[in-house]
Amino acid sequence: MIGILIGIGIAFFGFVLQTSIGGINRKIVGRLQKRHGPRWYQEFIDIFKLLSKRSVCHGWIFDFGVIMALGGIIATAMFMPVTSSIVAFENYDNFFIYVYLLAVGMLGMAMSASGSGNPWASIGVMRALTTMLAYEVPFLIVALTILNLTDYSSLTDIMLYQQAAGNSWFLIALPLGGIVGVLALMGMLGKKPFETYIAPAEIASGPMVEYGGKQLGMLFIMHEITVFIEVSLFVHLFLGGASSIVEFLIKYFIVYTVVNLISNVNGRFKIDQVVVFFYKWPLFMAVTQAIIAIYFGWVI
Amino acid sequence: MASIELLLVFLVFASFIAYGLTKLNTFAGSVFTIFSMMFIFVSLAMYGLDLGMDTTVNYLPSIAFEQTYLGAFFALIITFIYLMVSFFHPYFIDTYKYKDTYNFLFILSLVGIIGAFYTGHFINLFFFFELVIWTTMFLIPQGKSEDAAIKYFGFSVAGSMAMLAGIFLIYQEAGTFAINSGLASLTGGSATVVFILFMVAAFAKLGAFPLHIWLPIAHGNAPHPFSPVLSGALVKLGAFIGILGLIKIAPSTPVFEAIDLPIGQYIIALLGSLSIVFGTLMAIKEDDAKKLLAYSSMSHGGYILVAFSMLDGIAFAGGFYHILAHALASAGAFMAIATVARATGTTKIKELGGMIHKMPITYLAYLIAIISMAGIPPMGGFVSKWLIFQAVTDQGLVFVGIAVFFGSVGSFLYVFRPLSAMFLGQEFSEYKDNKEAPLLMLIPTFIIMGLNIYTGVLPSGILNFINNIVVELGYASVTVTTFEVHGTNGILNPGLISLVFAVGIAIAFIIFILLKKSRKVGLMDTYTAGNFVHDEHVFHYSEDFYAPLERLYEKHSHWMTVFYKALAHKVKELGHMCQYLFMSKHMSASILWIVAVIFLVLVGELL
Repeated sequence: MIGILIGIGIAFFGFVLQTSIGGINRKIVGRLQKRHGPRWYQEFIDIFKLLSKRSVCHGWIFDFGVIMALGGIIATAMFMPVTSSIVAFENYDNFFIYVYLLAVGMLGMAMSASGSGNPWASIGVMRALTTMLAYEVPFLIVALTILNLTDYSSLTDIMLYQQAAGNSWFLIALPLGGIVGVLALMGMLGKKPFETYIAPAEIASGPMVEYGGKQLGMLFIMHEITVFIEVSLFVHLFLGGASSIVEFLIKYFIVYTVVNLISNVNGRFKIDQVVVFFYKWPLFMAVTQAIIAIYFGWVI
Repeated sequence: MASIELLLVFLVFASFIAYGLTKLNTFAGSVFTIFSMMFIFVSLAMYGLDLGMDTTVNYLPSIAFEQTYLGAFFALIITFIYLMVSFFHPYFIDTYKYKDTYNFLFILSLVGIIGAFYTGHFINLFFFFELVIWTTMFLIPQGKSEDAAIKYFGFSVAGSMAMLAGIFLIYQEAGTFAINSGLASLTGGSATVVFILFMVAAFAKLGAFPLHIWLPIAHGNAPHPFSPVLSGALVKLGAFIGILGLIKIAPSTPVFEAIDLPIGQYIIALLGSLSIVFGTLMAIKEDDAKKLLAYSSMSHGGYILVAFSMLDGIAFAGGFYHILAHALASAGAFMAIATVARATGTTKIKELGGMIHKMPITYLAYLIAIISMAGIPPMGGFVSKWLIFQAVTDQGLVFVGIAVFFGSVGSFLYVFRPLSAMFLGQEFSEYKDNKEAPLLMLIPTFIIMGLNIYTGVLPSGILNFINNIVVELGYASVTVTTFEVHGTNGILNPGLISLVFAVGIAIAFIIFILLKKSRKVGLMDTYTAGNFVHDEHVFHYSEDFYAPLERLYEKHSHWMTVFYKALAHKVKELGHMCQYLFMSKHMSASILWIVAVIFLVLVGELL
């Protein structure tokens, strides 16, 4: 019971954290482009404005999908450890839960978008799923390497393994895998050049085309928590996790900002280019890394 | 105490009664089929689970029964699928060409299945296998195409012949037809040959790469209620032979130090991986919902092969659990498609749209089935995939890992397609008067939905039974407590995941309900970028769903078909040559060959 309360706390913390850091990043990107950028709490204003508005509904699956999306993501976030001691369900923070429970949320969103009846929403879903097929495989191969080396699949244990004396962070221990991790993280977050499925500045089509009001607001919340889960996953897997909350905040901020900065100096791939890209170098690097680390045992 | 012999005899009689009844009244015959299936299932479930069946044989000549946990597991799953599917018969049987025989053959094929899993004798096994093939071969052409049955039969017979050759080889080596001792006594070269022959049989039955070509054709064209049986049940016969070959033949010692697997098992794991990748890619570009699910069966067959080639208790548990989870998921999905096909007359994805509005329960059944199929919690498929992943990561099988992960993510893509294009999207005007399936068809739908969830939330009961099989096969069992499953490098608590998921949904629901109510609008009342759209058919995205992805590989997607066509052509040419040589119109040629054969025989005698 107490675990569930902690879990809800973590999900809420994740939402607040990511929304704030997202806001700060908008400011940073603004400065990068010689603008002032919005205030750091602009994202909160956007979300609460949307939640307060009256909107339309295209049938029960449209609403049900949104609830399933947000619910699935909240559930995933509840399992996420923040530091090596702050974790809602000890021993149950299994790596595969994040990959697959996250998919429930995605499925909910996809279902809701298709349920709107707008074909452009379905096209957006198609792109999102195709992107997912592209980045997941290299990422999971690197994760397989890490799980095989540590003999743990619990995130807390992987974190503690990296923090133990004599072991370095997996970003350093597995340099090729680390690069793949960064690229996959950019894919997961939908950052340029892999942001084809949202492509906000160009086309109206995308999973979100039919949303407004509370549904869109809830999907925004879902998106913020998803980003929290994905960035935290990267921090815990590759950057040794965190032993204190300050350390976590610093690492989280750095990872998100760096990824965002890389994203902002890039163009955008077409969807098939995303697939070809991920199945060329990142997969090659991930497999090379796995063979080097598992079969030869060469780990820095 | 239930006697297997009596059960089989009962089924044979039941099949004849069903034939007579169906001839008089199709509905009565189908209801009789349902009740006889129930009887068999209940008997097997009551006594079979703790091996309480009576194996004595009093009446049947030269048949011997033997019960194992392995056989009981398979027999129970398959009988269950048979039972569930039989509820669909009353609504479909009238559309078939030879409707009298449908129930008859259906029941008779179950005789073969139960016999095959409860025998310890190779020749019995072969006989029962053939019974299954011969009965189902006449069931498949009652669907769309007779050609499908030929392909199914061709591959099945190739598999059976390979198995028969293996059986004879075992007899030659070990002097026994007993399954366990025969397989265990093999050594050296003959072990390798039998291993290969059994694998050919397993691949042919399982529809695994490279013997998969029949699978989509047979599944896609079989009668709608028979496709779930094919995919959920009959294909699993291949898994059974695969287990015999992979585990019961004493595995050789590993060759490579890094990969801790015998070379044969590693090759099978790689071929299984290829099945996963091919199945996934083909399913993504398939336009017919049933064929799409058939390719997904191929990919899941790959998972089963991978699991059983890893020679590890956890992997085996994952494999067995996957057999169960996939049987339930694919039966659920195929039955949902069958329900849609009954209402609309088509299974082509692009001809359908918005079925959810008139068939919400069928939609939910399909949704739950595909969540399990894609291995997403809180459904059964997640538990089995988790166990398989545990074994793959623990053994560090990188290349197998690529396929396993690719198939797992790829399955989101292909299962979502029928969901999106058939059930969601614009509601087509021609289907506006559709109704939800009748009550009798909803019974199995609800049962399967419930079981898909049950297997994902509380796997401990089933895993404890599976542990019996794993121990019976001589491997270490998986540690299972009431809520937890212990893998090699972590603990899974599916119940907790479900609880947390429910909490998440509850929070989201509270947020949703507290906010302002939305205004209901129609499906055509959407953003159209300024165009006036008057026809919902043009406003529905279903054809070439993954076009950008398909473009990358569609050029290469036909080479297996081309290869088999070429092979078929060569076989035909060979046949023509034989015909020309031996069966020509000229008497002299025939006499020449007769003389030649007699000469060869005499020479052989003299030597």
